[in-house]
Amino acid sequence: MAHSTEATVSQRRNPDRRRFRPGRGSLALPPMFFVLILLLGPVIFIGLFSVGLRSNIPGTPVAFSGSNWHDFLFGPSNPFRKRFVYSMEVALLVSILTTIAAFPLAYFLSFVARKHRYTYLLLLLAPFFTSFLLRVIAWQIMLNDNGVVNWLIQSVGLKPHGDPVKWLIYSNFSVGLVLFYSWVPFVALPIFAVLENMDHRLLEAASDLGASRLSTFFRVSLPLSLPGVIAGFVFVLIPTTGEFITPLFVGGPNNQLFGNSIQSFFSDSPDWNYGSVLAVTLVAVVLILMLIFGRYLNTDLRAAPSGGDQ
Amino acid sequence: MRTTGRFGSTVLTVYFWAFVVFLIAPLFVLVIFSVNNSTTPTLPLTGFTTKWFHAAFTNGVLTGALVRSAEIAAAASIGATILGIMASIGLTAKKVRFRSFTVALLLLPLVIPYISLAVGLLILLQALGVQTSLVAVVLGHIVITLPFSILVVMPRLRSLDPSMVEAARDLGASDVSAFRLITLPLLGPSLVSSFLICFVTSFDEYAIASFLAPSGKPTYPVFLYSSSRTPALLPEVIAVGTLVIVVSLVLVLLAEGGRQWAERRIVGTAKADFEAAELSTDLAALGRA
Repeated sequence: MAHSTEATVSQRRNPDRRRFRPGRGSLALPPMFFVLILLLGPVIFIGLFSVGLRSNIPGTPVAFSGSNWHDFLFGPSNPFRKRFVYSMEVALLVSILTTIAAFPLAYFLSFVARKHRYTYLLLLLAPFFTSFLLRVIAWQIMLNDNGVVNWLIQSVGLKPHGDPVKWLIYSNFSVGLVLFYSWVPFVALPIFAVLENMDHRLLEAASDLGASRLSTFFRVSLPLSLPGVIAGFVFVLIPTTGEFITPLFVGGPNNQLFGNSIQSFFSDSPDWNYGSVLAVTLVAVVLILMLIFGRYLNTDLRAAPSGGDQ
Repeated sequence: MRTTGRFGSTVLTVYFWAFVVFLIAPLFVLVIFSVNNSTTPTLPLTGFTTKWFHAAFTNGVLTGALVRSAEIAAAASIGATILGIMASIGLTAKKVRFRSFTVALLLLPLVIPYISLAVGLLILLQALGVQTSLVAVVLGHIVITLPFSILVVMPRLRSLDPSMVEAARDLGASDVSAFRLITLPLLGPSLVSSFLICFVTSFDEYAIASFLAPSGKPTYPVFLYSSSRTPALLPEVIAVGTLVIVVSLVLVLLAEGGRQWAERRIVGTAKADFEAAELSTDLAALGRA
């Protein structure tokens, strides 16, 4: 009875309530169209440019042509393909090293620094609330021939004065170091999250059943943390494949990455069609990586609403 | 139980703190050189000065770029947060067609390489016959920051008790006023987070800005790149950089602290665990920034 009274009251106050209204779900449409136009639009256009169906030079006849693709994929010792392979190797190496370095940080936070772990986590992440560009510039200042690092090396007598260590800057080392520096904290984050959500009773069980600390680690903690480890690895791998800012500041001509090739096609050379081949390749690589690893980057937004978080 | 022996704990502790030093060292070096009385950022230090700050703020190109970037970042983060609220409300509805597709599409900017998107936007502008402009930079920045906004707002929206909005509706509030009077204030803290994350991301974005900002109107990152080629400008760059670092650290810490305080007040029963989970979501969103 009470229920029907309630319904009558609300209907009287809201006469329009029974009228057809678009569902709440349609609120997602404007953002969706925005992204469709400004994200998929550009991707479609670089696709069209890559096969010659459009051109940036007015008056040029346009027709389908796979010659740029053929040159990039099969041309004998194509420099851009070489650059691509080199870039993927750098991205893979940086991702592996970053993940290895980040694991102990996450492990420390979760198992050693129990009480203050969120404060320490914030400390680890603090530098990354600041400008990425400024951090790269700071490394440039530290690593150059007259920089802080070389001064320290010469002050402690490892090298004579006036004889700086040349490979500290504009080298594979400097590009790798700055990439490593930039990503370690973010790899630590998903690993930390997995360790925190781990059922600690399993560790107790292992120890009760006579496992040593080492074998508990290798047979329980490590396998259980793998989803976080893979997520962290992908966190680095995906953005690093398209990286071009770090080599711009701390890399020499031989250490430029694939992203730099794309950039120079669109700023220095007028051949947007060839540049688009490279840009499409990069998008394809990232999408393939997402297809392989996407399920490890669970953002918990895909599921239907259930009320609870996590 | 203890999972790590005493030796293991010591090694891990030393490793962690060494890493913190490694992470903070470059920022520390920047701060030191901002007040060093020398035209080059080299050791040994030659004395204290504040002249680089004065020089920086009388450099019209530099301050112009800073202001320009702040305006772009403000516009982009407001835009992204509004679209983020719409997307979050839409996607948390009971029935949504193509939910998976929409979520995937809205989060896609997280993984698309900015360099490919930047050249794609440049081509799109050319195809539409539109000149490069700061408005184009703002639109590009809204696209790349929208996922951050959704990742921050949507978990918060999900955690709200739906009976509060239902109660408002039963008491006669329209959809719009229920949103304005109930949902929006409860979302408040996460909106601040969303705004800040988007702001910081846009303020620091180079790829899109370098292609879409008109040549006479560099954003701050574009200015940073061009001035890194001019050694004489370096001390000024370092001085302003120090200010940017200090301001952003203070803002983020204040925002995080304030948000936790506000949430504790609004949702009296919020568990510490839950807040921690949310903090890590925010941080994960920042990860791409």
